[in-house]
Amino acid sequence: MAQILPDYSNSVKLKYVKLGYQYLVNHILTFLLVPIILTILIQVLSLRLDEIIKLLTALKLDLVQILCSSFLVLFTLTLYFMSKPRSIYLLDYACFKPPVTCRVPFSTFMEHSKLNTSDSKSVNFQMRILERSGLGEETALPPANHYIPPRPTMEDARAEAEQVIFSAVDSLLGKTNLKAKDIDILIVNCSLFSPTPSLSAMVINKYKMRSNIKSFNLSGMGCSAGLISVDLAKHLLQVHANSYALVISTEIITPNYYSGTQRSMLLPNCLFRMGSAAILLTNHRRDRTRAKYRLVHSVRTHMGADDRAYRCVYEEEDPEGKIGISLSKDLMVIAGEALKSNITTIGPLVLPTSEQLLFLLTLIGRKIINPKWKPYIPDFKQAFEHFCIHAGGRAVIDKLQKNLQLSVEHVEASRMALHRFGNTSSSSLWYELSYIEAKGKMKKGDKVWQIGFGSGFKCNSAVWICNRTIKTPTDGPWLECVHRYPVHIPEIVKL
Amino acid sequence: MVIATTTTNNNIKREGIVHDVKLSSVGTAKVTDSKLVWEPSNMDLAMKLHYLRGVYFFSSRAAEGLTIMKIKESMFFWLNPFYVICGRLRRSDSGRPYIKCNDSGVRFIEANSSKRLDDFLEDVKEESSLLRLLVSGQVIGPELIFSPTVLIQITTFKCGGISVGLSWAHVLGDAFSASHFINAWGQSLAHDISQDFSLSSLKPQTRTETFPNSIFPKPLSLKMVDPVGDHWIPPTKSKMDIFSFHLTATKLAHLQSFLSGQSETQLIPIFECLCAIVWHIVAKVQNYGEPRIVTVCKNQSSNGRREILGNKHSLSTVKAEFAVSDAEPKELAKLVLQKAVDERTEIEEIMNKENGTCDVIVYGANLTFVDMGEVNLYGLELKGEKPAFVNYFVDGVGDGGVILVLPGPENSGKNGGDGRAVTMILPDSVMLGVKYELKSEWNIA
Repeated sequence: MAQILPDYSNSVKLKYVKLGYQYLVNHILTFLLVPIILTILIQVLSLRLDEIIKLLTALKLDLVQILCSSFLVLFTLTLYFMSKPRSIYLLDYACFKPPVTCRVPFSTFMEHSKLNTSDSKSVNFQMRILERSGLGEETALPPANHYIPPRPTMEDARAEAEQVIFSAVDSLLGKTNLKAKDIDILIVNCSLFSPTPSLSAMVINKYKMRSNIKSFNLSGMGCSAGLISVDLAKHLLQVHANSYALVISTEIITPNYYSGTQRSMLLPNCLFRMGSAAILLTNHRRDRTRAKYRLVHSVRTHMGADDRAYRCVYEEEDPEGKIGISLSKDLMVIAGEALKSNITTIGPLVLPTSEQLLFLLTLIGRKIINPKWKPYIPDFKQAFEHFCIHAGGRAVIDKLQKNLQLSVEHVEASRMALHRFGNTSSSSLWYELSYIEAKGKMKKGDKVWQIGFGSGFKCNSAVWICNRTIKTPTDGPWLECVHRYPVHIPEIVKL
Repeated sequence: MVIATTTTNNNIKREGIVHDVKLSSVGTAKVTDSKLVWEPSNMDLAMKLHYLRGVYFFSSRAAEGLTIMKIKESMFFWLNPFYVICGRLRRSDSGRPYIKCNDSGVRFIEANSSKRLDDFLEDVKEESSLLRLLVSGQVIGPELIFSPTVLIQITTFKCGGISVGLSWAHVLGDAFSASHFINAWGQSLAHDISQDFSLSSLKPQTRTETFPNSIFPKPLSLKMVDPVGDHWIPPTKSKMDIFSFHLTATKLAHLQSFLSGQSETQLIPIFECLCAIVWHIVAKVQNYGEPRIVTVCKNQSSNGRREILGNKHSLSTVKAEFAVSDAEPKELAKLVLQKAVDERTEIEEIMNKENGTCDVIVYGANLTFVDMGEVNLYGLELKGEKPAFVNYFVDGVGDGGVILVLPGPENSGKNGGDGRAVTMILPDSVMLGVKYELKSEWNIA
């Protein structure tokens, strides 16, 4: 008993020391400037008026000099305001809620797998993956994949695209009271299905958008393409004033069922599910009160120069000629490296000075004093209130939770989105954000960090700040089931 | 993977009458707690090698606007209370089968036919085995955990009419269960889910008491077969044929009065009359080894029945001490009516002793008569319309054969009292003779 108390009091002391240090360093400017300003003010106030006038006339300023200096000040101010990047606001977003007819329970998935292939080893492998996947019993596959065997025609793929995209866009336009003709920029990202005409053309056709719309279709860019689209929209909105940008992130599952037996290619079958999200971004100043979020930073990191990272997620034909996406065994290691690279860029932008200083000191110490010092992992929990980690699979979330030292609550949104919707690729970040809102945890001023990983190998981040407290109940894909969450997800679900 | 079927449908399908067959699954809209299990009773396990196959025909008017997506959507909601049927069979440690409610679902088969509905019905009158094109012949096994207990086939005809083929594993329940199950789908389509039977048999059922000291006579209606393992189909020596005929109410009244005799004040019920007639014919046809024992199975009406699932039909045997082929049908009718010996308890006792792991057949152990006259087969309604025609047959029967007495189409009867449809499943060798006798002796079919 006696031993515990001293430890407890030590840890409490340490906590206060840490808090004190953080407060001091983060507000160092305040602490330095306030005394200086006070001193000057006191000095000025102690002088009498005629002494002040004597001081000013001693400067021997004539009209031209005064005009020039004020002109300089005005010019500098104008330059500053003009070159300041426009604020990008996220007006609202909508996620696709799959209909109940697309539901795939574990047992149905296993039974269909068994009927579709004669290789029992593949079936057993898929069963083991499913048991440990962290998915629930309500994830959805498109109608074409429910057939034994799946019949992925192009028509079915287009039908799925129409179903998921139009549903989300209809919902979004309804929520924001916007007309399709108001959209100035359209970006659609879908990695594995790229028909001609493109999916963006499909959207423009359905909604009869304007002929001078600036549309882009990003394909092949993997699960992190959602944040790439947001980044692209951000840059476009810097160039085009007073515009609305519609970003649609989705993945079309229909054409991508892998019917072979290579283990490295069977994972996507087990994890990828139907989903899509439509996001409305704008730089209109009049929307700054009703927008939900403001984009603070977006950081893109590409590890493609490294061969191992490039081949990490690779679409190719297996020895039998069947096309599938092969995931290498190094995936988690490469993801860790990509994350480190991304953090190195984003850290200085978001971390408070106290953390940056500690990191810098530890870095210098390791280089100069003792290389054996443990590298300091900055505490990102101080920079962000919410984390949205791409629900690529249970392993990804586990690894990031460990690397960033996040608590169970911080990764709850990611785990629950994986459980309810599966890996919906680029739209998963939006399902997670929707979860946080549905739980009533999003307050004004909260910072959210969205981290996406994808083939290439890429790690992309976006930082949003909440513009207004989101009231519950919200609409969205979690409306009917959020009361059942969070659920405990066992390590292995016995089928 | 091999899908086990009772007959090779491929031979008939080669003619191209039914084509474009697509398989998928439909399940429950709500997630079922996978810890839930359903334990079949001893009687259920005695029936496990049998399968009820029913076909419902609907006109194009009734099927108008009914797309496959709409059908599937309605089925997801329909199956919510029937999560037991969406589960899969497992064996407990003792070897006794049970169902794990894991939402695997019901198999859904879509097919098209190049024939018009009326033409097909005409063809079916001639050759009842054509019904096999419209309902799945799949049986449970060889792997229990991947075998659906119920399969539904929707066939669309050239004229727009459709047929609904229900394949029902008898282990789940009797004809009443199957009929109530499929009728509930019609209600779900019409958004009328008012009837809400409880599936309370999810609690472990109280097993029948064992009477270790009492000696029960061996039931005559049960026949042990060689162990089939997890492939639930009895080994049969003969190829079974199906023949179906229809009797109008007038004809039935005629037969009834003939068999009951002028002096009798009480008419013998229709079912017993039909039993007598067919028994007599089969005995005549089978010169050597005429059936002296028959099994009689009656499906109770729904009144007073709280649980949908389960085999609650009555099961009795009738033994004739005299030569059946020489007897008067009147005598046989009286015998069936008065001397039937109930064997449910004996059957349950035997199954209980083996803890449900032994393999037996009930249908076809002897010549079996199944009364489905009170089952609401015409209760499945699409857009308020009843089916034009409903027929049922049974698979997995023994060599004794099975005769099903079904209600006739509802608009065929006048002055109250509908006709009856009779479906016979008999060995090939016997069927021809029976058909001939029906025509010549009784002017039927």
